[in-house]
Amino acid sequence: MRIGIVCPYSFDVPGGVQFHVRDLAEHFLAQGHHASVLAPADDDTPLPDYVESVGRAVPVRYNGSVARLNFGPVTAARVGRWLERGEFDVLHIHEPVTPSIALLALWSADGPVVATFHTSNLRSRAMQAAYPLLRPSLEKISGRIAVSEDARRTVTTHLGGDAVVIPNGVNVARFAEAAPEPAWQGTTDAPTLAFLGRIDEPRKGLPVLAAAMPAVLARHPGARVLVAGPGDVEAARERMDPAVASATEFLGMVSDEEKAALLSSVDAYVAPHTGGESFGIVLVEAMSAGAPVVASDLAAFVRVLDGGRCGAMFTNEDPGDLSRQLLRVLGDPGERERLAALGSKRAMVFDWSVVAEDVMAVYETVTHGMDDVRTDHTGHLRADPTDTRWTRLLRGARRGGED
Amino acid sequence: MELLTYAAVGVAVLLGVAWYLSYNAARLDRLHTRAEGALSALDAQLVRRAEATLELANSGAVDPATALMLAGAASDSLEAHNERALEDDLLEGQSFGAREGLESDLTAALQAALTPDVVAEIRAEDAAGAAALQRVEGAGVRVQLARRFHNDAVTDVRRVRRKAVVRLFRLAGHADLPRTVEFDDELPPAVRD
Repeated sequence: MRIGIVCPYSFDVPGGVQFHVRDLAEHFLAQGHHASVLAPADDDTPLPDYVESVGRAVPVRYNGSVARLNFGPVTAARVGRWLERGEFDVLHIHEPVTPSIALLALWSADGPVVATFHTSNLRSRAMQAAYPLLRPSLEKISGRIAVSEDARRTVTTHLGGDAVVIPNGVNVARFAEAAPEPAWQGTTDAPTLAFLGRIDEPRKGLPVLAAAMPAVLARHPGARVLVAGPGDVEAARERMDPAVASATEFLGMVSDEEKAALLSSVDAYVAPHTGGESFGIVLVEAMSAGAPVVASDLAAFVRVLDGGRCGAMFTNEDPGDLSRQLLRVLGDPGERERLAALGSKRAMVFDWSVVAEDVMAVYETVTHGMDDVRTDHTGHLRADPTDTRWTRLLRGARRGGED
Repeated sequence: MELLTYAAVGVAVLLGVAWYLSYNAARLDRLHTRAEGALSALDAQLVRRAEATLELANSGAVDPATALMLAGAASDSLEAHNERALEDDLLEGQSFGAREGLESDLTAALQAALTPDVVAEIRAEDAAGAAALQRVEGAGVRVQLARRFHNDAVTDVRRVRRKAVVRLFRLAGHADLPRTVEFDDELPPAVRD
């Protein structure tokens, strides 16, 4: 099957949607399908050969975080050319309701379209303002996928209709087999905690963790927080208590291998996100690597952790509760082992082998229908270049007459 | 001069109206195509599900009483499909006839037959049965997808057809108003694990 995948977020920076798109494409390529990804990227960003760059992205504040997006007529033309060259059987668009190549691809799409909704908070005001314009494009989507129940509820509320829930996938083996890095491994006296995410984005929750650390340091003076993620390190240090700042190591942006090594080294992975998360793929990665997970009780996280069974949960935005949970987990090796074992088992639900099969079922369902109707009724192919709106209009009338 | 201006404005307005009408007609045509495609996908997946169920019933992996119950529900479903296959246009009228009840019955039969114990036993002991079970699962999942996608398409068609411009200019022609297809397509929980 020829699969075209559109990712609206830039491949220059790591992000959940980017990784999802990359892994999905690689999984289908490994199965012998043809897959091409269209995404924004800087000229000097190294890209895998199945990714085609649509050009440099512009940083824009959207949906509560700084997103790097593409728009404008030049971009639209590039998207059109990619679609034309690709001759895809199915077009899979991620986050279709962003001002980006996702919307542009949807706009010029002419065939079966599958869309995946990742976010649980669509900007309702922007949506309502632009809705009459967006609606005809959104109607082209034959199959909607939501990555979580929260994302599905958002789709149902804002767009009407329904979506099927297929969770994000994780390459469980890649994390389970990663070798721990001794420098990141904790000892009984000096346990290590991992935090992943942009450090200057408050909703990723670094300030909550920083506020919880003094109590942890009081019990475990040698404890270290390993922070992996891009952002302004100096500014982040200044916002912290000096003692906490000196116990924190900023690793900057880490590679996939480093991330896997980090998660399999630490005594606990902390997810203090305060909102805006519809899924929580990092939690699954941490569970795959065997790291006990301490997470805020966002609805999405509770679901990933199977009702909170597979991790330690604390009240969202409550540093006091976070420090209590951290002390409980760090002080009890048996509990850490129990959580790690539960997590490893839970992670298998999200393995790509399971998830990609479900996505393929969606592709097959939407393409089946299209093959049938493309040559239906008049024997005309829909892709016929002479098939303008007028001829379609006439054919519509003729079809009415045939009944 | 003035007459020329009026004429130019008149032509521009007419062109605008014509474009708007053709745009809406194209949009509606695309939506009808989507709904028809989704319905034909649903039809195909229902046949697959019934065939896989027959296969499972005949594989010897389940006891004869269960096999007979499954075979009965599956052949009812296939028979209803085949009756309609004699018609010119399978999707004529875009309704699902009385098949909703039969498909719900097949779902209920699968749920009754495939309890966690039975599923575990088939998977552990019977290679042919396990393969058939996997096909039942695959088709069952696709039935759920196809039905949801179809109902989404129908919702979109009906919304656009309520628009004043579509009704006033009869842009839908004689095409029937599609209806959502409602039946129970829940898979037995044990099969999904």
